[in-house]
Amino acid sequence: MIFFGILVAGLFLSLVAQEFIQPLAWLYGARVLLMPIVMFYGALALPYWGMLALAFLGGLMWDAMTVPVVDSTVEISLGWSILLYATLGAIMSGFRPLFQRGRWEIHCLMSGFFTSVIVLAEYLMITIRRGGLIFPNEVWWRVGGAGVIAALLSPFFFFTLNWLAPYVGYEIKPEQKGIL
Amino acid sequence: MRRTNIVASVVFILAVGIILALNPRNTIKVQSAFLGMVAPFFRTGSVLRVRIDNYHKALKSLAQLEHDNALLVVQNSALKTDNETLRGLEQENNRLRRAIGYEERSVFQLIPARIIARDSGTWWNTVKIDRGFDDGIDPDMPVLTEDGLVGKTTAVSKNMSTVLLIADETCKVAASVEGTREQGIVRGERTSTSSQPEISLSYLSKTADIKPGQKVYTSGVGGVYPSGVAIGVIKDFKVRELDGRATVIPAVDLTTLQDVFIVVGKK
Repeated sequence: MIFFGILVAGLFLSLVAQEFIQPLAWLYGARVLLMPIVMFYGALALPYWGMLALAFLGGLMWDAMTVPVVDSTVEISLGWSILLYATLGAIMSGFRPLFQRGRWEIHCLMSGFFTSVIVLAEYLMITIRRGGLIFPNEVWWRVGGAGVIAALLSPFFFFTLNWLAPYVGYEIKPEQKGIL
Repeated sequence: MRRTNIVASVVFILAVGIILALNPRNTIKVQSAFLGMVAPFFRTGSVLRVRIDNYHKALKSLAQLEHDNALLVVQNSALKTDNETLRGLEQENNRLRRAIGYEERSVFQLIPARIIARDSGTWWNTVKIDRGFDDGIDPDMPVLTEDGLVGKTTAVSKNMSTVLLIADETCKVAASVEGTREQGIVRGERTSTSSQPEISLSYLSKTADIKPGQKVYTSGVGGVYPSGVAIGVIKDFKVRELDGRATVIPAVDLTTLQDVFIVVGKK
């Protein structure tokens, strides 16, 4: 329960922290996204239902923070990110045995790739909604850039959270029982 | 699949279903509540950032500070004089408008605000400001600076609001071109960011006599934005199949924006 609380607090703080990081002009406005990294670590560390709870809270916070409602029109429904996080989290948690064997590099790369998937999914949704399927180079730079940055930052987050887990009496197991 | 997982999946699907079914009004309520929750963190973060930014400024020499102060005193006097003159002109204008049966034009009441965060999402051009409904802010209020239009408020919480910038594709502003009768709609580009803003003025007539350097102002059509607020300057004009389209350089530098004013009503 304590570790779950730490991950929820981590989601919240990383969401706030990433707001203070400017988009990278040299990467055509790609953003440094920290919250998905914490979410994907949670998917690796928590059992299935813990991952769902984290995806729900993370997705809800993400949408509440980022998606604007303009002229009483909601471009992307509140809650779409929850489904996306849960789907990607479920895939991530499938690779837990590798993580336990110390093969972190795969999960770091996956974390980056899934972050790109989130950014691309957002773009696809707004582009379908607004009309005109436009895919200039900037789109691919931002999608890829966010993923590469997430992949590079993942080891730091994964290591910190993994180091923290035993201190609060949490152990990652193939299938957890009653940790919450 | 274990029973706990099945139960978790069912609860999850139900909860997501409820969230997805929220209408725009309730979505705004959820967003406002969340903004209210994160506001203290944003304020603290913003204060820290300002302190770090000001650290270098604090290292200015006394001579520099004296020079800056003298400059500001002169500027202040000049602005006061301008203000007095404009107030007189406003009264005269209103007197003349009354004489010919026009409605009196009022000066707008402005609330100053500080930007505390920028660009929440990758695809939206927004900033967060440190004012909310406690300060009289509502959604769809125009936001500007002394240089021109910045955007409008969207989600508003107790003491923090989101501002949609004119560089965003969804921010549409009715505009007119200086020295012509041309009117159109200004909006941002889908992939523009506040660091590389691009806005365009569409639905102009194909025969419009528009040249680079002409100023673009809000026309006041639509009721959200007051008329006569500077939006930008024409960069180029192209004739398309059905209309004319101009690229506009925003009057406000959205990259260095720190302080803004929200138009809350008329004095």
